[in-house]
Amino acid sequence: MADRDRDERVSERYRALGREEPRRALDETILAAARRRRLRWAVPVSIAAVVVLAVGVTLRVQLEQPRQAEEVALAPKVMEAPAPAPRAAALESRAPAAAAPPIAARKLEAPAGAAADRAEPARRAGVAVGRISPAPDTPEQWLERIGKLRDAGKAREADESLAEFSKRYPDYRMSAVMRARVAPR
Amino acid sequence: MTCPARKLGGVEAADEDLMLAYRQGDTGAFETLYARHKGPLYRFVLRSVRERGLAEELYQEIWMRVIEARGRYGVQAKFTTWLYTIAHNRLTDHWRRRGLHLVELAGHDAPAPAADEPESRVQGRQSLQRFAAALAALPAAQREAFLMHEESGMSVADIAAATGVGEEAAKSRVRYALAKLREAMADG
Repeated sequence: MADRDRDERVSERYRALGREEPRRALDETILAAARRRRLRWAVPVSIAAVVVLAVGVTLRVQLEQPRQAEEVALAPKVMEAPAPAPRAAALESRAPAAAAPPIAARKLEAPAGAAADRAEPARRAGVAVGRISPAPDTPEQWLERIGKLRDAGKAREADESLAEFSKRYPDYRMSAVMRARVAPR
Repeated sequence: MTCPARKLGGVEAADEDLMLAYRQGDTGAFETLYARHKGPLYRFVLRSVRERGLAEELYQEIWMRVIEARGRYGVQAKFTTWLYTIAHNRLTDHWRRRGLHLVELAGHDAPAPAADEPESRVQGRQSLQRFAAALAALPAAQREAFLMHEESGMSVADIAAATGVGEEAAKSRVRYALAKLREAMADG
């Protein structure tokens, strides 16, 4: 407003009418509404964020299963790095990779189990998402790992793994070459 | 106007920044904004409708509209202009329903002077009563423009934007209002 439009006398008289303020209860009602609206908005967004996150994690786990299976298959190779120090070898033997076959075997309920996986979503979700364990490998990959344990001189672990394999796949027919590779020497 | 300090980046936050902060979920920003504007807006509404219960109802509705509209708020105008645009629209709805009855002079009740009150004070009170009556008697549009100017310090351009008229019309409303109020003061 331009100064020439101001009239200080009128303003002064106007201010003399009083400086009423809203009642405190009215203030509190409005401020509470402002806070409530914030919460009402935040809760659905939080729920939506959790849902999106859960779906995202599930999809990611499903998509990454093939890659993880490859990584599990490679794990024994890491254990068999050339000339490991005795202490390092001991540590490796306790590492999750050494126990991978049983875990993988527990998850592999049936050969080529994609259809079976879909038939038992709840149980599988408990394993795949809750434990974030590697995806199951194939019988051949498992046998290969046993063979590598033999190569590395880890006879006890190889025996245990082979026994677990036999329980899991009682009808599996392995080739003579493979049998020679995984059998106790 | 009481302006509680709330600083963003070392300087007192502008209304627009506070409203944007509230939009992002900062309810403390809204509290500051509310504290700054509650008195002027309340008096604007109260002196527009001249009925305390009704004024409180309208005042609350205006703030509820601010709260509801926070998600759509963008800094295209001053916050004050935006706030008084909402107030103007709410009052317009109200007057439309009531047929402008509240513009009339009747109903302005001031306490009667005490018998032993000094004459100068009685005159002062009567003078103030005349002023209040003149304010109440203003056409709604003129009173609205005057109240926006007095209570929130809005410029002619801001008043024009808030009330949806051209600047010349807004300026004319303020000037007519001032002339009538001066006249009421001169009568005393």
